[in-house]
Amino acid sequence: MNPIFANAVTAPDVAALLPTFLVAGTALVVLFFDFFAPKSIRRSLAVALAILGLVVAGVLTAQQYGHPVIAFSGAYIVGGFSVIFSEIAIVATIVSLLLTLGVGRDDQVAGTSALVLWSTTGAMLMAGAGNLMMIFLGLELLSLGLYCLCGMSLRSTAREAALKYLILSSMASGFMLYGMALLFGATGSVSLAALASAHPGALFATGVGLFLIGIAFKLSLVPFHLWTPDVYEGAPLTVTAYMSIVTKAGVLAVLARFAYAALPAESATALLVPMWVIAAISMIVGNLAALAQTDMKRLLAYSGIAQVGYIVAAFAGRTDYGLRYAMLYLAVYLFMNLGAFAVLALMSRDGETGPRLASFTGLAYRRPWLAGAMTFFLLSLAGLPPTGGFTAKILILAATTNAGYVWLALVLILGTAISVYVYFKIVRIMFVRADEAHVRDERGPIFIPWIGVAVCAAAVLVLCFYPLTPSDVLPVVK
Amino acid sequence: MAATLCILVPILAGLALYALPKKSDRIAKIIGIVLSGLIVLYVAISAHDADVSVRWLSRPFVATFHVGFSGISYWIALLLAVTTFTSLIALTAARARDFVAQMLILEGAMMGVFLAKDVLLFALFWDLMLVPVFLLMVGWGVASRRADAMNLGARGTHQTAAWRYLIYNMVGGLSLLLATAAFGVAYGTTDVIGVAGLTPLGEVWAPWILAGFAFAFLIKTPVWPLHTWMPETYAELPPEVVAVVSAVQSKAGLYGFIAIGLPLFANEMHRFAPVMFVLGLVALVYGALIALVQTDAKKIVAYSSLSHLGLILIGIFSFNTLALRGALVYIIAHGLFSAALFLTLGYIERREETREINRLGGLAADNPRLAGGLMLAALAALGLPGLAGFAGELLIMSGLFAAGYWWAALIALVPIVLAAAYMLRLFQMTMNGPHNADLPKRRDLSWGEGLALAPLIIGLVLLGINPGPVASAATNALHAAVALVPAVKDASR
Repeated sequence: MNPIFANAVTAPDVAALLPTFLVAGTALVVLFFDFFAPKSIRRSLAVALAILGLVVAGVLTAQQYGHPVIAFSGAYIVGGFSVIFSEIAIVATIVSLLLTLGVGRDDQVAGTSALVLWSTTGAMLMAGAGNLMMIFLGLELLSLGLYCLCGMSLRSTAREAALKYLILSSMASGFMLYGMALLFGATGSVSLAALASAHPGALFATGVGLFLIGIAFKLSLVPFHLWTPDVYEGAPLTVTAYMSIVTKAGVLAVLARFAYAALPAESATALLVPMWVIAAISMIVGNLAALAQTDMKRLLAYSGIAQVGYIVAAFAGRTDYGLRYAMLYLAVYLFMNLGAFAVLALMSRDGETGPRLASFTGLAYRRPWLAGAMTFFLLSLAGLPPTGGFTAKILILAATTNAGYVWLALVLILGTAISVYVYFKIVRIMFVRADEAHVRDERGPIFIPWIGVAVCAAAVLVLCFYPLTPSDVLPVVK
Repeated sequence: MAATLCILVPILAGLALYALPKKSDRIAKIIGIVLSGLIVLYVAISAHDADVSVRWLSRPFVATFHVGFSGISYWIALLLAVTTFTSLIALTAARARDFVAQMLILEGAMMGVFLAKDVLLFALFWDLMLVPVFLLMVGWGVASRRADAMNLGARGTHQTAAWRYLIYNMVGGLSLLLATAAFGVAYGTTDVIGVAGLTPLGEVWAPWILAGFAFAFLIKTPVWPLHTWMPETYAELPPEVVAVVSAVQSKAGLYGFIAIGLPLFANEMHRFAPVMFVLGLVALVYGALIALVQTDAKKIVAYSSLSHLGLILIGIFSFNTLALRGALVYIIAHGLFSAALFLTLGYIERREETREINRLGGLAADNPRLAGGLMLAALAALGLPGLAGFAGELLIMSGLFAAGYWWAALIALVPIVLAAAYMLRLFQMTMNGPHNADLPKRRDLSWGEGLALAPLIIGLVLLGINPGPVASAATNALHAAVALVPAVKDASR
């Protein structure tokens, strides 16, 4: 038994946790200044402060790269691995905050920003979590913020989405918690390091299975995906955008650390096979379901299910390359998905309800730049050049075939083939000649999302020709 | 450097055209013509230009942005530049600004396919070139034009052809992608195209990897039974685009077999040869037979393409230097005459508003220049001595005989004779006989339209008289590849 806080908290411990604290603290600052802000700058002040805090936290996190610190006796581990996932969460938060500027009532913006920051804190905790309790703490912090965010809007669909998310997500947490309890029972410790040296038995295997079900639920992998489209559709657009990246970043970090470092070497391959099967099913089912969607948010929800499948497939074989390329793909996914959401934000009048597929008709003739940007993001989602999606996908294919999982690579190709139809359905409809009278041209309330579009497009292009695949990012446990 | 510019300049210029005001169709067309003309000249003088190579990936395999002109690439790039140039001269589509932009992007992407010296880069451009063709088909295809004419808007169009094109070629492209990834992992580097003295990939997985490549190549060419997207696509696309697509894009697969298959998968290519012979021969005969009975002028030429490309495939898989040279000559020749054929068919359709050869007729009386253009293109297609088609066919046939495949040459002879039948039928039904009173009478080819055909016809004549430069420029590259094939029957010496 290894009590968590047996030792006194030391300076390195605090330093390791500093960026996370900073993000959480920024939320308080945002709320505090919101009391005094004049009405005219209330919105921009809240968002600006939040972004400032995130940028500082991002810089501090980046400085941890290459300097692994095992804080709180192994409960929180920073260094290469967690830095990447934290940065992805931070960047995604910044971009989604930019979209938030024009949405909702004046008095809500500060609250929204604060909740977003706390959720990001949760994701960052998950990225560095070294024991089961820290994982659960991060996960719940992340989820609690999201429940509120989903219900922020006055539309009844938003409240429905919030409730649905709360109930189903709590159920997933229940699965995970039960799994953790069994793991604790099997090993007598909550630390991940203890799991790695455990003697695998029936109790242990059941614990791992339940834990992974919880993970699959949070990642919305098939067959645990049913909540995703409804929640994505009901939640405000910006929250959907935020949730589609940050949740994945946090949970994927936990999954990667669990799969790579926290399982006994001799039984890990067998224990994880169900995960790869689920990933394979997700790629196919997610894309097939996306075929039938006419609401853009639902479509992106199903496409997200498949995209997570690709990322999880990269973990198969638990190779060094697989992890790097999964990170690369997640980074690319951040930009291409948020880019697509920024386009949606520019096309939705209230900034909350996303446009339907039909409102893209003839977009290339009405707003060519927007259509061009959307085409670019869709090409990337489909894995076509010249985008980061292409490079990242081929690297994942290389990693999975290299690891010997050729069947998974074949399923990935099959899923991608289906997805091409999904994404090109949108491309086609944008470039088809439209009878202009029949299409309502909805424009978003503000210009700001264009910044998001530009940043994301540039990032997707750069990641195609200069794929950043950092070395020394294998997760450790102690 | 020249290769980089030939790829990037058209793509960037195409994107930049969108910045012009919406109504600047005329300016856009002029910019397109001038730019593509300059590219023709630039490609022509760049035969001995040095390669450019920049590192792209180091792990898990080495990949580079490596582009350059080697013997084979040079001629195909020149063909591409010429056909794009002529198509842009012939262009009359609505919304010309966007059309020219897409054509330039297409040119750049296809340049990339043929100038890439790295398999991963090759795969990148291979997938990229799908996009402009798809957009051109969606925006300017027959379905879309009909909708324009009837003022239907988007709801009136179905565009199954566009989908069929995309899905078929995407499946091919993804198979290529997976094969590339597997190849990179197995071989350690993808920077291999046109490199002399490579060791072939000797791996358990090699046949599977080649199968992945071959699947993509066969779809793109296309070869029976993977050809069903092709006639529809060619019929749907505007003639200016088909001219480029049939002339050059269809050669990407054949080029892949020569540039990637032969040097790196020597043994596996040999093992696949019987299958490829069967597929090629079936395509050869089947295409010719269908072309004989089609009544849509564009589909006649589309099926004749299927037949001709089958012959080239057999030429490549006979592993004979003579046949390979013939294949290359025929690749260029087919590009020139199919572009000329599709452009003239476009002129006919523009004048008569139909492509049904049963309704057409008697055009020669009032349109002598049009008739002359179609005649020359058709004669080249049916293999008249003195024009380029003949040179290619003769070389391939002699190669087949020399390699001992006399039976294949005998079978191939039948469709070559049939080619005369369907090409002359096409000419006769459109140009001779009485003019259908329901159809409009329009003026003969304008200067611009005639000028567009000129480079193609000059090329056909020059290549027909002296195929030497094309054949010999490639000899080194081909020889390096063929020397590796075991038990090669080389009769060229």
